[in-house]
Amino acid sequence: MRAFWRRLDGPAEIGRGPLFWALFLLAAAALLAYPAVGSVFAMSNFANFALYVPMGLGLGLLWGYGGILSFGQAAFFGIAGYVYGIIAGNLVDSPWGTLAAAVGGVAASVVVAAAFAYFVFYGQVSNWIIPLLTLVLSLILETFMAQTAGYQWRVGSVLLGGYNGMTGIPSLEIAGVQFGGAAPAFYFLVVGVLLATYVGLRLFVNAHAGHVVLGIRDDVERTRLLGYNVNLVQVAVFTLAAGLAGVSGVLYVSWGNYVNPATMGLLSATVPVIWTAVGGRGSLLAVLLSTLALRWLADALAVRGGEYAFLILGALLLATMLFFPNGIVVTLAKALSRPSGGRP
Amino acid sequence: MKGGGPILRVEDLTKAFGGVRAVDHLSLAVPHGELRCLIGPNGAGKSTLFGLLSGIHRPDAGRIDFKGETITHLPPFRRVRKGLCQKFQTTRVYRGLTVGQNLLIARGRRGETNGRLAFALSRLSLADRTETLAGALPHSEQQWLEICLALATEPDLLLLDEPTAGMTPQETSLTADFVLELNRQGVTVLVVEHDMAFVRRVASRVTVLHYGRIFAEGSLEDIEANQEVRRIYLGEE
Amino acid sequence: MSLPQVVSLLYQYADSMALLLLAALGLMIILGVVDVINLAHGELIMMGAYVTTLAYNRAGLPLPVCVVAAAVGVGLFGLLLERTVIRRFYRDRIGALVATWGVSLILSQGALLVFGPSMASVPLPAWTLSYGGYSFGGYRLLLFGVAVLVVVAAWWVLYRTRLGIRTRATMQNAEVARALGVDTRRVYLGTFGVGAALAGLTGALYAPTTTIVPLMGTTFVDVAFITVVVGGGANPVAGAILSAALLSLVATPLASVWGTFIGRIGLLVAALVVIRFLPRGLSGYLQDRERRRMARAAA
Repeated sequence: MRAFWRRLDGPAEIGRGPLFWALFLLAAAALLAYPAVGSVFAMSNFANFALYVPMGLGLGLLWGYGGILSFGQAAFFGIAGYVYGIIAGNLVDSPWGTLAAAVGGVAASVVVAAAFAYFVFYGQVSNWIIPLLTLVLSLILETFMAQTAGYQWRVGSVLLGGYNGMTGIPSLEIAGVQFGGAAPAFYFLVVGVLLATYVGLRLFVNAHAGHVVLGIRDDVERTRLLGYNVNLVQVAVFTLAAGLAGVSGVLYVSWGNYVNPATMGLLSATVPVIWTAVGGRGSLLAVLLSTLALRWLADALAVRGGEYAFLILGALLLATMLFFPNGIVVTLAKALSRPSGGRP
Repeated sequence: MKGGGPILRVEDLTKAFGGVRAVDHLSLAVPHGELRCLIGPNGAGKSTLFGLLSGIHRPDAGRIDFKGETITHLPPFRRVRKGLCQKFQTTRVYRGLTVGQNLLIARGRRGETNGRLAFALSRLSLADRTETLAGALPHSEQQWLEICLALATEPDLLLLDEPTAGMTPQETSLTADFVLELNRQGVTVLVVEHDMAFVRRVASRVTVLHYGRIFAEGSLEDIEANQEVRRIYLGEE
Repeated sequence: MSLPQVVSLLYQYADSMALLLLAALGLMIILGVVDVINLAHGELIMMGAYVTTLAYNRAGLPLPVCVVAAAVGVGLFGLLLERTVIRRFYRDRIGALVATWGVSLILSQGALLVFGPSMASVPLPAWTLSYGGYSFGGYRLLLFGVAVLVVVAAWWVLYRTRLGIRTRATMQNAEVARALGVDTRRVYLGTFGVGAALAGLTGALYAPTTTIVPLMGTTFVDVAFITVVVGGGANPVAGAILSAALLSLVATPLASVWGTFIGRIGLLVAALVVIRFLPRGLSGYLQDRERRRMARAAA
């Protein structure tokens, strides 16, 4: 128990100590109690923001802790969404069809990511190649899915749908409980996934394996010469991040019952990078908060006419890189913690 | 320990960079339990040889046997797992992480089995520095930390590339005594060192490298008496 | 295979190679010299196309004048970008990548706001040649000619002028170059400007062949990125030529049988295979081989 606590409260994340955890539990309790007071619309809306958190945290781990920038999260999000749609649509009569689809969707992301990562990391390429190739992967997948309109593009009984996307995808249903976008069960599922992902990743980065990931970011050669198979670790972290993006993709499809090529496109590929940069690499909590905040911001901007949304996000990204290279949330957190007994 | 043959045997090892043979048909054997110093003028190929041994560089020709097994083409991390670990010439610790995190990475899942790391940490006064950022340590302590990182992998053969570079005479002799003690505990050590004060203090067998080849080998007295060795050093300095 | 078929394949090959060379060369020169990946490269191409289209349709200037204006204009914008943004990220390659990505979003979304979702494009000069039942676009052949000219010019500047010597010295080792009196900051600034001008030129040249939309940059960057990854930054000119030649060899037959999209997939797969075995790209491989050759010669 003590060891568990020490690991949970470990140094590889901002926000430590009893006060932090008291606030954390309070926030978690507030999230879980929210359905008692909030409207169905507000709950469904929050679930829609929060379902992106695993994808964001995946990149937070990969880029912030592993030092590997990827534009591929959206691609793995989309792959999981489409594969979920294909399986769930074909197994619509089976009670476990959507669960199988969820597993299949995430598994598809993981397999594609692992194959991609093998070529990239075993070649030991320079660090600028990975963002470039993952961006190309997203663009190509988007182009491919956009041209799958028409009856000849179907898998079993499911039409891929081309530019307009795949529609009428059944929501997740486990043991008779429906996880549709407006269902309270979906809200609890998303909040549960959010908390579990955060706590799980926090345990991971403070564990031995997480430190190896940090070590690789700091000095690749040193880590090799301490006996680590660096290539394999990088493949594993990339794949884990992709799997988390896949979880988000499955949740998204279960929420909205559709998926389209734009989920893998240029702008979608960009947003996880913005969440991570603006929140702050090197802190999972910062990425979690900025994911929620920026999803809310994008939504609010879209309501007021979407054309400014990406202009503002782009400006925010550029301003962050120029003036807050450690991220806005992390910079704020450090400024706040300094007067209250932080070391100089 | 496997008895009999040497722990490290290098045969005809060759490595060239851009027209210069940094290591040139070099052969070398280091018996179990020895403390061997490698000396030689700048550019003699000492660091290249270490790079070949640890697997950072790939040799153009030749072979490397470690504990009776050929490791010439093994990737670096497999060599470490077989018990061969290197401290770099320019200090390489994880500067952005604390001493404790550095050691956690180096120790792996092994935990502590042979007690050498604990001994090293207390001897080198790093035991109570676990919360300090490695990049904030003074240079000499970074050097020591890097030796501790290498020790944490529990090597049978420890390669030290200039362990006392930039140290005061007191720190150098502390390091020398520490390396001697490690060697007594059964770690075979191969040291590249410029500082003759260090070499004299450990007073071990010495190999002189020159233009990528073995120029001379013998006890410290033999080497110091060798006119040819004096000549190449004087020519250098 | 009949002679006209061969000629047709060669034409497609040249067309593909021209696109890869023109799309990637600016990006690659910046990578090679400044060691920065400019993710706004596609948007600089888009800017070139917009300048050309506006100058042609609204100001009524002749097309060649529009093309020059686009290259110069985007080049100047590149200088501004280097001064304000790129300069801060010379020690942080990933930071530069992300910051230029922000620039790219601002430019493409800004173009969308100012000019709307699409624009009337420049009419394609209607020169065609026909041979053996195939017809070939004269403008496409012109593009290939320009691509060859640009590459030759880049090579000439790098290897036959004093400016080129300073640039190559900076590429080899910026610190040593500084010690020898090269103003490396100006080399970086100039290189970035030239790279941006090449992007502007590419956008201008392809403006008549494509629809003018704010996100048009992305149709260039996927091929540009793959060309850069396969070519590597060790030697921009040789890398661009080799990479474009190899990738066109992969993409042309795929595209002519199964369409452009499969051609692009082929490019991605080819890039993954190349970096698995030659992580520093074709030019990095050549550089290493040259070093080994010198090593053997010394032996």
